[in-house]
Amino acid sequence: MTSPTPTAPTKQTSPIRLVLVDDHRMFRSGVKAELDPAVTEVVGEAPDVDTAVTVIKETRPDVVLLDVHLPGGNGNGGVDVLSATRGATTESGQPVRFLALSVSDAAEDVIAVIRAGARGYVTKTISGTDLMTAVRRVADGDAVFSPRLAGFVLDAFGAAAGEIAEVDEELDRLSAREREVMRLIARGYQYKEVAKELFISVKTVETHVSSVLRKLQLSSRHELTAWAMGRRLL
Amino acid sequence: MGEYGQVPDPQPAVSPAAPSIGERPKLYRSSTDRWIAGVCGGIAEHLGISSGLVRLLMVLAVLAGPGVFVYGFFWVMTRPDTAAADGVPVARARKSLTKNQVLLVIGAAVLIIGLGWGGPAGQIGRHLGFLLPVVAVAVGAFLAWSQLDANERSRWAGRSKRGRVLAVARPVVGVVLATVGVVALATQGQGFDVVLTSALAAVAVLVGATVIALPWVVRMWQGLQAEQTERIRATERADIAAHLHDSVLQTLALVQRRADDPATVIRLARSQERELREWLYADQNRSSDSLASAVTTATHDVEDEHGIPIELVVTGDRPMDDGGQAMVKATREALLNAVRHGSPPVSVYVEVGPTGVEAFVRDHGPGFEMSDIGDDRLGVRESILGRMRRHGGAAKIRRLESGTEIELTLPPLEKGSEAASPSGSASASGSASGSAPGSASGSVSGDAAGAEKSAEAQPTGGRPA
Repeated sequence: MTSPTPTAPTKQTSPIRLVLVDDHRMFRSGVKAELDPAVTEVVGEAPDVDTAVTVIKETRPDVVLLDVHLPGGNGNGGVDVLSATRGATTESGQPVRFLALSVSDAAEDVIAVIRAGARGYVTKTISGTDLMTAVRRVADGDAVFSPRLAGFVLDAFGAAAGEIAEVDEELDRLSAREREVMRLIARGYQYKEVAKELFISVKTVETHVSSVLRKLQLSSRHELTAWAMGRRLL
Repeated sequence: MGEYGQVPDPQPAVSPAAPSIGERPKLYRSSTDRWIAGVCGGIAEHLGISSGLVRLLMVLAVLAGPGVFVYGFFWVMTRPDTAAADGVPVARARKSLTKNQVLLVIGAAVLIIGLGWGGPAGQIGRHLGFLLPVVAVAVGAFLAWSQLDANERSRWAGRSKRGRVLAVARPVVGVVLATVGVVALATQGQGFDVVLTSALAAVAVLVGATVIALPWVVRMWQGLQAEQTERIRATERADIAAHLHDSVLQTLALVQRRADDPATVIRLARSQERELREWLYADQNRSSDSLASAVTTATHDVEDEHGIPIELVVTGDRPMDDGGQAMVKATREALLNAVRHGSPPVSVYVEVGPTGVEAFVRDHGPGFEMSDIGDDRLGVRESILGRMRRHGGAAKIRRLESGTEIELTLPPLEKGSEAASPSGSASASGSASGSAPGSASGSVSGDAAGAEKSAEAQPTGGRPA
């Protein structure tokens, strides 16, 4: 997400409790320095899969910033953390949400963590304010799509090729509105810009994005990743 | 044979199949002109004579005796040509023995043996008890060893169930034949009992030898495999090290030396990151002259030139054509405009679909304070709007709340020539996007018809000084 004007912090009674999972200590401290402690409180850090699982179960954070590539576990990095902490809840009983963070553009990495349950994906070059916006969005249960992920979704679901779902519930295709939202995100629009462009509320945009995320997680069309890659994307 | 391509031929058009004088194809085993292993075909190609003649000579030589060894020698010492591996599947390219040819060979053999019976080769008949086992051993060895030939192996193993059965059956039959031959040789003129005892003894020895040798052979095989893997890994490591040294380490050194110049450092880091990424996630399927790759290259060029990161997303792809070329150039111009007069983040989204190509170049510039443009007016008007229109596309410039977005559209490829009317492509883009962008944000917009007007009314794009 790219925004020169960060969304004003919503009224949050307590800061978002955050766990950083990344094998690069320098990156972790960099992120910590960028985050506003009033909005997000880092309650734990982990450099590998096994530590991450323990820390997440102990601290029960609201959001986990999860690196896609991690040592340990079964060798699947972030996916291992997600599967090992499935069902984990925060202190208020909400499910722990994951925001995937990666330097990798490889589709299979990104799609793998999303399908394992991550609520969004951003690249490590994201600015501090954008990262905070993304964290808050994920904490609220919404999805965070980078332009690149949106582009990938358009390709994987054949939406760029003109395939549109007749019924919204259809899992293997995007609805016309979802496609529009994805296209605007791919064009670098913020959620609120998308909302304005389509004459809908930001909440509706978030709903559309979440529904695309659900399709991405449940659809068997994911097998078409290979196809999309063959057509050269990401 | 794929060798012809390398032959320097003063008159290339005359006959590509005939090697020029002085240069002849290397001696390989032919994969296209072959009966058994392609030895004769290869020799014929090498010498530039008819393969039929070579075969005739070879058959005569084999009948005379030493030919077997000559053939075997060539088989072992020459490599198969690679022509078949590149294109034509071996199995199909192989000139298989037709029924007639088989009959011909059998007929010739019968004839020769028949003639020899009473005539000059009559003595052979008397030594048939010796000759037959030798032939059996030779055929057995041939069957067993032919399995070592990678080409043959793939031919047999590649084919379904029958092929795999044959692949196993050949060495087994070969070994059995050779064993029988050896036993027969060793028991010349002995009684049946002796033969049986000898055969049993031979089998027992074979089994014993196998039992003893098997673990050793297996271990050796495994060791060989491990060593091979290790060697491959070492080569890979060396490759990676070489690459990192040439790219990443050099850049890091540069970054340290230019530490006082943040813009350069950012540019270095960015281009190095991209280069490394391309190397790591290289996409083999990507063709170098497609629209997507051209847009990517153009974007990277602008990025490098100005040191401003550009977020690029491309979906779909299509081969390059004139329209695509124009679009890439217009996109590049729009990007230059964005990095010069707008402010980051700059993003590009290109969608190649059945309804045509759409490209969006977006920046977050203030839009209004750009009074220092001047020459760029021509840039925007001609390089973007005019160029797209000339190729049947359209361009429009919208001012958003924060920043500017330039939208380029191009009609689909098939109807590229007749659907060149700007309105056609504009309606395509309209139906594809499902929203009316012009009215949506109240910006000055329009498809091709109003494009020029919008450019003039557009403050960011091309306001004259």
